[in-house]
Amino acid sequence: MYWEKELEILDRANLEKLQIERLMTTLRVASNASHYGKSPEIKRFLSSGMSSIEQIRDLPFTTKEDLRGDFPWGFLAADKRDVVRLHSSSGTTGNPTVVYHNRHDLDSWANLMARSLYAAGVRDTDVFQNICGYGLFTGGLGFQYGVEKLGCLSIPAGAGNSPRQIKLMRDFGTTVIHAIPSYLGRLYDVFVEEGLDPRKDTKLHTFVIGAEPHTEEHRRRIEEMFGVKAYNSFGLSEMNGPGVAFECTEQNGLHIWEDAFIVEIIDPKTLQPVADGEIGELVMTTLDRQAMPVIRYRTRDLTRFLDGECQCGRTHRRLDRISGRSDDMFIIKGCNVFPMQIEGVLMKLPEVGDDYRITLDTIEDQDQMIIEVEVKKESFRGDITLLDRLQRHITHLIRDEVLVSPHIKLVEPGSIPKAEGKAVRVFDLRNKV
Amino acid sequence: MTCQVSVFLENKLGHLERVTAVLNAAKINIRSLHLNHTASGWGILNLVVSDPEQAHQRLNDAGMSAALREIVVLKMADQPGALDDLLKLIVKAGVNFSNAYGRVVNEGGSALFMVDVQDFPDARARLSGVGLEIIDDARVYGV
Repeated sequence: MYWEKELEILDRANLEKLQIERLMTTLRVASNASHYGKSPEIKRFLSSGMSSIEQIRDLPFTTKEDLRGDFPWGFLAADKRDVVRLHSSSGTTGNPTVVYHNRHDLDSWANLMARSLYAAGVRDTDVFQNICGYGLFTGGLGFQYGVEKLGCLSIPAGAGNSPRQIKLMRDFGTTVIHAIPSYLGRLYDVFVEEGLDPRKDTKLHTFVIGAEPHTEEHRRRIEEMFGVKAYNSFGLSEMNGPGVAFECTEQNGLHIWEDAFIVEIIDPKTLQPVADGEIGELVMTTLDRQAMPVIRYRTRDLTRFLDGECQCGRTHRRLDRISGRSDDMFIIKGCNVFPMQIEGVLMKLPEVGDDYRITLDTIEDQDQMIIEVEVKKESFRGDITLLDRLQRHITHLIRDEVLVSPHIKLVEPGSIPKAEGKAVRVFDLRNKV
Repeated sequence: MTCQVSVFLENKLGHLERVTAVLNAAKINIRSLHLNHTASGWGILNLVVSDPEQAHQRLNDAGMSAALREIVVLKMADQPGALDDLLKLIVKAGVNFSNAYGRVVNEGGSALFMVDVQDFPDARARLSGVGLEIIDDARVYGV
């Protein structure tokens, strides 16, 4: 039932004691990094100690802008020779966010991942197919190491190529898959196209879905289509990646591992804690990371704590599904996209006007990012080839920037309403069910 | 130099009519029209009009993306095989083009063949060099 029974059912008082202990260690390590070394608050805690976990509120927040601003080494708290891996956000404009890991960090992350999967009922007898991009994106290697730690037979299938995914499932008797929810509708269609029924023609029993927001209805539909149990997974690269919070077999909220993170939920405007059970912005502090501790990181994800104790007996609190963002980031095909990244690409092109519009839509069961771009009058030469080339050029530039291939629509100048004040440039029409 | 007016157009209801409304208001006559489109929902409208400079100006003033492109207008007969004969000479002149269209002047009599030569600076010289009859601006624009 538990991967690490003692830690998972540790009573709150002792859990809090452990958190304070680990936070003090974390602050000591963090002060080796140039960013945190400057912090008078951290210095104060290191000399005077800490008596209750609420005191963490006296420490300053860390934002994505901080991570970018002190790129590339400002948050590194360890000797570079001990660092064995980095993961990084996408993007070629501006600084990406980078997270460094030493061996201990990777092992600790893999352990959290294994604990999460175990809580969702995955065992070492399972065959686990990870349908997820490997590389800088944390969903590939993050799951890989966790699955290996747990002892499943892992199939590092990577993303895409549905017919091959299905062949792998059938050849090796895959029982568990990890994928983004928006991909699974497409995968099901390919099963049908091949005359197969995943309920009868595979051994699948468990799905792990995450990396993009989805509704309870969407989850139930996936479970129905494939005849499986689907569990919600939450993570973010700044807090390692997947394995931060995970549903147990109760499927009622995501246990967030409080021996590894201190979790706060704040009002993004006042920056004060919200009342218990109210929605606010998730703020997280790493407790078991050596190469790059992060203190009070403003995740920008909006969620709330669920009340009461979980039937599973775990004492780590449960988060509700992520209900939105306190910034304008959106997630499409599992990739995090900031409209500013797209604007950055477009505004560098002299052929393109100032106005653009991003529409997220579901077309034939596939989520698409459609970007309408104005062709400037001054650069129009009446040549279809040039425009076609421009369209392909923009597609490539944006794909390189955000890792999702957009559908670029060239439009006439003036056809996109002028942005006034803080423009709403993103329209999300995706099927929510 | 003979010019056509090329206009960037989205394939949407009413967009072509916006162009013709501007030309109508300026009393500009359309002599020939050629509309193409891409799979991406937009295309380019090519127009031979009575006053291309004015049309270009008016369309730009109305907020549209319009451009002038050099064309060569060749005379041909309105009968079977005429275009084939004409193209043999164009091939002989070594002029490759990606955009061209035709217009009948009087049925059973003569026709015009417009070739976009914007990216082919010596096309005019080459075409007249193989003996093709190039129609002058006044006759193309019908003024």
